[in-house]
Amino acid sequence: MDRASLGARRGLGREERAELLALAVHRDVVELADRCLAGAPGTRVVAEPSVGTVPLCVREPVVSERFVVADVLVTRAEVEHRGQRGWAMRIGDDLEATVAAAICDAEAESGEGLAAEVEQLCRATDRRRSVEAEREWAELAPTEVQFEELES
Amino acid sequence: MGYAAARGGAEAIVAAERLVRQVREEGSSPQLGVDQVEERMTLAVDRVMGEAGLWAPELAARALRQAQGDLVEASHLLRAYRSTRPRLARAVTVSSDELEILRRIVPAYRVPSGPQLLGRTLDYVGRLLEVPEPRPATDGATRAAAAEGATAATAAAIATGDASVPDRGAPATPVTQGEPEPPPGQNGSLSLPDRRPRRLLDLLRGQGLAVDRRRCDDPEPYDVLRQPVRPGVPRSARLSTMARAETGALVNLWYRNVLGPDGYIHEITLGEVRHGRLPVRVEHPVTGRPVVIGAVRVTEVEAIESLDGPDEPTDLFDVGYGLCLGHNERKAIAMANLDIALERDQGRSLLEQSVLMTTDGLESSGFLEHLKLPHYVTFRSMIERKLAARQAAAAERDRPDLHETPLDGSRPSEARQEDDEAVPPVAAGAPA
Repeated sequence: MDRASLGARRGLGREERAELLALAVHRDVVELADRCLAGAPGTRVVAEPSVGTVPLCVREPVVSERFVVADVLVTRAEVEHRGQRGWAMRIGDDLEATVAAAICDAEAESGEGLAAEVEQLCRATDRRRSVEAEREWAELAPTEVQFEELES
Repeated sequence: MGYAAARGGAEAIVAAERLVRQVREEGSSPQLGVDQVEERMTLAVDRVMGEAGLWAPELAARALRQAQGDLVEASHLLRAYRSTRPRLARAVTVSSDELEILRRIVPAYRVPSGPQLLGRTLDYVGRLLEVPEPRPATDGATRAAAAEGATAATAAAIATGDASVPDRGAPATPVTQGEPEPPPGQNGSLSLPDRRPRRLLDLLRGQGLAVDRRRCDDPEPYDVLRQPVRPGVPRSARLSTMARAETGALVNLWYRNVLGPDGYIHEITLGEVRHGRLPVRVEHPVTGRPVVIGAVRVTEVEAIESLDGPDEPTDLFDVGYGLCLGHNERKAIAMANLDIALERDQGRSLLEQSVLMTTDGLESSGFLEHLKLPHYVTFRSMIERKLAARQAAAAERDRPDLHETPLDGSRPSEARQEDDEAVPPVAAGAPA
């Protein structure tokens, strides 16, 4: 079974999983990756985890052209685990969590071991994101304003 | 101007640095935590990130603390750090329409499409320095503790009789890491889809009131980190330059043009002022499809200008655009104004040169600060030239032939003029 179909079998696409592992709480993803490693020794670092940047490129609305606003600090890691390639990139300088996310990515891709728990972590992260967005909006909504025009 | 190196003073330099570290790390109060700076001084952190051109809140807070609150110095530290890091992925472009608002006001329109959301702002309230109410007279123990230089926590514990009073550097309550609590009931009437409202520019376009400058081609954005920025660069370079510019420089340039001697900029109406989040998207190395790895906060502004020039369609508006990292409305407003001013100026004035060459905080401050370095050799040579010129002038005055009456009866000044004419002229600007 190819990688894409493995991912599809569990409902989370590869990109969606990478997105949610990028947002997972540091402690949660590291703890899960430690257990993934304990279950399948022999994990190999494919590319040395590194802290670097990616440019933030925005298409503006007036002329519809792109420009680079700034760079964003990110950490990237790539591992081989359970015979699968795991990749992760997270915003900020966090080698530990990013390597952990890459291990979890490979574990999920293999469909073995703790793949289901990786899926659960992703779903929990997604729920957390939704709850935080709702909470934030609940705080912001009372600041909606409609100014009145004064007649002279 | 040539420069000569100086050396020495190492011990004094180390001692001077030690004094700075003392203020930063020692002192009578607890050292400021990086988390405190990041959480409480958000506008300063945002400004440092914007001027450094790097989204890295924790590092920006660290830089700000290290720089003792000096924003330009902190930006310098962060930009220097960025220069040591590689670019790890190509940019996947995000649309400004994806901005998820935390604040949005439309000064030009009372009822725009979508909400006007004040968000976190003090724009409409009085601003007075908040001075704590006078405390009741303290007892002798507290006064004595304070006089002896006890820490604030100790003094507070003495005052309250409670040894569990936390230190100011520590959180008062433990931070929980579990599942987030469900949000409280929404007080407002807004639903989540309202977080990406249509922009006013769309409304103007729908009414046929805005110049349509949208391009059909899609040129690569200019990378100001890898290519020189000089007048004549594409607009994407100007926007990138302004997004990283020093806020005060950009505001000053705008203000000088509105009220000062230059006058290239007209007062405009703001269409959109937004603060919100934009996704950061990269390409997945295995699938090649885009992945959102998180979001950064930005400020976005549309500035509407009424066209009134002789070669402009006076029945239309045109729009300038500003977008910068973090929450920095002054900068984004100045940027949008300057963007439309540059469009209308079309290189006729020195405005583009001013924007590109004089608004970078590191460049201007670096040049200014270098004046404090030893210039002994340079200045000594200037003194020597002055003295030599003075001696030459004195020798000229003392020439005996200038004081003798020529045999032909002409005046000394006439004789001197003839002598001067015999000397080949020196080209203007030739090195002395």
